[in-house]
Amino acid sequence: MARSIVHEVDYPHPPERVWRALTDPQQIGQWLMATDFKAVVGAKYEMRAKPMPGWRGLVEGEVLEVVPQRKLVYTWLGNEKGPLTTVTWELTPTATGTRLKLTHSGFAGLRGFIAYNALKGGWGKKILREGLPSVLAGKPVPSVH
Amino acid sequence: MQKARGKGKSARREEAVYRALADPTRRRILALLAEAPRSVGALAAEFPSISRPAVSKHLALLVEAGLAVAEAQGRERVYSLEPSPLSEVVSYVATLDAFWAERLGGLGAHLDRMAREEKA
Repeated sequence: MARSIVHEVDYPHPPERVWRALTDPQQIGQWLMATDFKAVVGAKYEMRAKPMPGWRGLVEGEVLEVVPQRKLVYTWLGNEKGPLTTVTWELTPTATGTRLKLTHSGFAGLRGFIAYNALKGGWGKKILREGLPSVLAGKPVPSVH
Repeated sequence: MQKARGKGKSARREEAVYRALADPTRRRILALLAEAPRSVGALAAEFPSISRPAVSKHLALLVEAGLAVAEAQGRERVYSLEPSPLSEVVSYVATLDAFWAERLGGLGAHLDRMAREEKA
């Protein structure tokens, strides 16, 4: 499962509060995107935001796993041309609140192979140094021979 | 709207890119070219189980897809990686990674707000 986006954040809030923010559609709308999300296995959802160049402003998916206050897993189709990916939220109580781990996986396909290698430097640091900032700035990537 | 725009030339080029990338040998060749430009001979040496003409064929496909460029250097043709067709896929994950980092910050602020509301 190395080909994933992983973020781990400590919040000074109990797991119950974090869980509500992750599962209540009203709350999801306040920090992520407007949605009809329901934390029920098999439930389909949509998340909507302002479209941007290269993104239609819609994420679709289905809930795969719900372990209240511990774990939430759903599929994530963020781009009709992109891969069907999986978002996993894991909550661990800590002395000061909650450690929240986000794993966004499923980039193991073709695009995933390329993107993963590019991000991990497998394509050479030059691409990351010169290519990525241009991509993020919305400019064409300079060729780097 | 995105779909309509994707149908023309760029969609065909994109298909060529994915076709080129579908093969593990070609992906391995690209990974090698990403390290440094290489001649056909140097590349073929990395694939002892594949004939040199077969390696040349793979290279031709990569060039056709715009993922590699060939340059004559003396008697040899030297191939190097052309990363621009990869920009879309690179940007997909990079953008998503940045998106989550930002949203997780937003989640923190939201949680603080919820805590204050619960107290009030």
